Amino acid sequence: MSTSTFIERAKFSCALGGALTTLAGLPRTVPIVHAAGGCAASLSGAYNTAAGYRGVGYCGGNMIPTSNIAENNIVFGGEDRLAEQIENTLLAMDGDLYVVVTGCQVEIIGDDAVGIARRFSDRNVIGVSSPGFLGNTLAGYDAVMSSIVDNVVAPSPVKDTRTVNIFGVVPGHDVFYRGNLDELARLLGRVGVKANTFFGTGESIEKIRGCGAASLSIVLSPKTGVKPAGRLREKTGAPYILSEIPIGPSGSADFLRQIGGALGVDPRLVEDVIADETEYYYSYLERIVDIYSDIDFQRYAIVAADSYYAHAYTRFLANDLGWIPHLTAINDIDDPEEQAEYLKRFGDITSETRPAVVFERNAGQLLRHVRDSRARNRNEKYYDALSPAYVVGTGIERSLADKLGAGFLAAAFPVSNRVVLHRGYAGWRGALSFVEDLITNLVAAR
Amino acid sequence: MSKYSDELTYGFTGQVAPPVRETRIGVCSAYCGACDELIADVQSGCAQLQGRRFAQSGGCQLMLAVGIVSSLTNVVVIVHSPLGCCSGFVGSGGLRKTMRASKGKREEEFVWLHTNLDEMDVVRGGLDKLREAVLYAEREYHPDAIIIANGCVPGIIGDDIDSLVTELGGRISAKLVPIHCEGFKSRYVASGYDSAYHGVLRHLVEPLVKYERAIPDEKQETLDRYRISRTVNIFNVGSNSNGDEVELSRIVSALGLIPRVLPLHASLDDLARIGEAALNVSVCATHDDYLLGHLKERFGTPYIIDTLPIGIRSTNLWLLRIAEFFGLEAEAERVIKLENDQLNAALEPFRRELRGKSVYVGGGETRILTTASFFAEDLGMDVVGVKAHNVDRFVEEIMEELEDPRLEITVAAGQPAEELNVLARLRPDLYCGHVGANGWVSRLGIPNLPLFGQALNYMGYTGAYELARKASKALKNTNFVKNISRGVKLPLSAEWLARDTKLNIKETEAV
Repeated sequence: MSTSTFIERAKFSCALGGALTTLAGLPRTVPIVHAAGGCAASLSGAYNTAAGYRGVGYCGGNMIPTSNIAENNIVFGGEDRLAEQIENTLLAMDGDLYVVVTGCQVEIIGDDAVGIARRFSDRNVIGVSSPGFLGNTLAGYDAVMSSIVDNVVAPSPVKDTRTVNIFGVVPGHDVFYRGNLDELARLLGRVGVKANTFFGTGESIEKIRGCGAASLSIVLSPKTGVKPAGRLREKTGAPYILSEIPIGPSGSADFLRQIGGALGVDPRLVEDVIADETEYYYSYLERIVDIYSDIDFQRYAIVAADSYYAHAYTRFLANDLGWIPHLTAINDIDDPEEQAEYLKRFGDITSETRPAVVFERNAGQLLRHVRDSRARNRNEKYYDALSPAYVVGTGIERSLADKLGAGFLAAAFPVSNRVVLHRGYAGWRGALSFVEDLITNLVAAR
Repeated sequence: MSKYSDELTYGFTGQVAPPVRETRIGVCSAYCGACDELIADVQSGCAQLQGRRFAQSGGCQLMLAVGIVSSLTNVVVIVHSPLGCCSGFVGSGGLRKTMRASKGKREEEFVWLHTNLDEMDVVRGGLDKLREAVLYAEREYHPDAIIIANGCVPGIIGDDIDSLVTELGGRISAKLVPIHCEGFKSRYVASGYDSAYHGVLRHLVEPLVKYERAIPDEKQETLDRYRISRTVNIFNVGSNSNGDEVELSRIVSALGLIPRVLPLHASLDDLARIGEAALNVSVCATHDDYLLGHLKERFGTPYIIDTLPIGIRSTNLWLLRIAEFFGLEAEAERVIKLENDQLNAALEPFRRELRGKSVYVGGGETRILTTASFFAEDLGMDVVGVKAHNVDRFVEEIMEELEDPRLEITVAAGQPAEELNVLARLRPDLYCGHVGANGWVSRLGIPNLPLFGQALNYMGYTGAYELARKASKALKNTNFVKNISRGVKLPLSAEWLARDTKLNIKETEAV
């Protein structure tokens, strides 16, 4: 039974949006959308402008082939139109993989789009049911990646004990997905582990077919990625482990130890890499020590993000940067049991002050949570204000930061006030970029 | 006044939803040929029956409708749908502040809600969630109006949002405005404008109630009557900038008239006074014939739906039509002469740079034709083709006045594969196109500039100058597109790019 309600200023699109942003991250992949004419371009457009101007990708935006069904198809069905559209897409578009995805309209009327796609399976066409009402962005990622596992990844009889697949990083929804994946692949490479990232630099559909040789899947999100990783386990026997996007020295060291341990990597190698990366990190961080200390850049941190980033950012700010974790708001966990499970992650916060953690789906309520987090100022002469504060959130929290007079960095979807190219916040190097961005905003007026 | 709009009737406000444009005015959405053939085929009805074999994603009427009503002052928008419809707000919602600031209006945070319909709601209906959302919006934000945009899912499963509006109407202070803009209902996405204005007309345009004064103030009443008799409502559109509004207001003021720009970004008070004008003037028939037609039937306000004031000739014509209504032709001739002399002198350096350069224009029907005419007539450029999203009978006159009646035209909303196929053959020196097209044209290696911009001036005399300046600027360094075309690949097959565009058009119900 559904317990969902309305959402104020949701930081997600629908399952079809998630499917399309996932497909836009896959190399040379052509989506074919069986839906009304506007769905594809407008959903793709959301990720063009709200994922740090990630663009529409290889075959996105209004380039997306669409069956463009209308009212008569709602009555008579749209399967013939879809078949014609697939046939002509294969003629017009150059791709290594063609993926039929569906919108609400055709699923309600019962078109068998996946079945139609199957007729073209000898020409690299697969079908995925992804109507918007299936859920949010993450449901679309799971649907597409599960289908990739089922229909594209080849079962491999031989396991490569030093190869892993990374799930749970949703292109576009993780605004920094490519920079992050490249950095994770680099770090894993340093301990002798090859990472299949699906969306990172150098990937191809051919390589994705070979993902079945991996001996382990890493799932980096508590809300997405388990489904395709589970399907892969059924298919090839490769187990999956739950982890977290590592940001900065403490998170990244844990990450390498966890993965190294799971794969039986020599711990000395892991520790050597950790020491080396940590040294590199501090050799650069040293640059801001003077200004940070001289004019006090320690801040009360308010983190507002989805469960993929919320703890990871909080942990970095508290454990590595030494900011005061005041309030962390997570926007995508509604289930009380899942909330309790996620809360446990905050057990590793080492600052003297522990953050208040709230689960809040409505963006407008964040201000109330911040106000409730302290005694109100009743015009006292002496008042312990929440200042200086800094909001690390999504673009939507900009107005919250304005109201609080706080510093602000958009670091989770949506991000539309800056351009993100190869930047990532993962690992030690990503954390350096993160600190650059945080502190730049504090000195920008100089 | 456009002969065509006079043939239409607008008595639809008794209905819950407006008719879609396919039935109300008829539309061609797929065509490939010459302008004179197209006019003939539109008049005979053949052009409206063309579809395509390979289709790409275009607009959605919900987006256009919400674009209009979400601009109103102090409103909350509820998108009654799963999370995807209007999810682009996450990227564009922040623009509300800068847009309002550019028009000198009070800063406002944009608030929208989704009813977040899921599989269970598809089965049992989504009205309970919508009710909660409405009450939340009222309680948390106290808006003047709560707009409910109805998406495909409730449209197909049959949620009766109007009954909910009736139920809640007496309980909350905000006005509730249901907008029936389900995407699947119309492939002519401009239907969304009608959907939006239908809701506005039914629920927001409530003239102020006036009472008889105990002590009559004849002087004030005379002044009011005079003000109304000189007031010209200029109907803005989502694609125009504040610079456009300032310029059009300037030239209307030059005739001694009182310009007032509506309805985008208007407050409910502004809308209540929408009938207090002598004349309603459109800048684009595609946007507002439905609104202006209704206002005439309701308040008796005459309207002008003619050309889009882009380029010298169209701006002259636009201004002259207004002047004629007020008997100010002589005044207008003087304004036009002064403006044209100044502008022509200012354009001279750009003419020298741009004369003979080939240009292709793609986008909304009225805007591309007026823009192309400006490039050809006033800058001496060689217009090698145009692409219209859709074509209806509103542009008959503009097309008949084209310098070259054999001008190549394709009709396609979006459809970059078709457009790039054309451009790969024509290889113009410059392309001017709608949002969403220019990126593909860059990948093809053709220098380009946007057809409109919410921060740029295109309309009126100053807009003509700015457009010439932009065209000239685009050709001052073309390395970006050259490099991009070498470094970034298009997804189109070589076979597709080499084939005849016409092969994609088929006789059918429109697709």
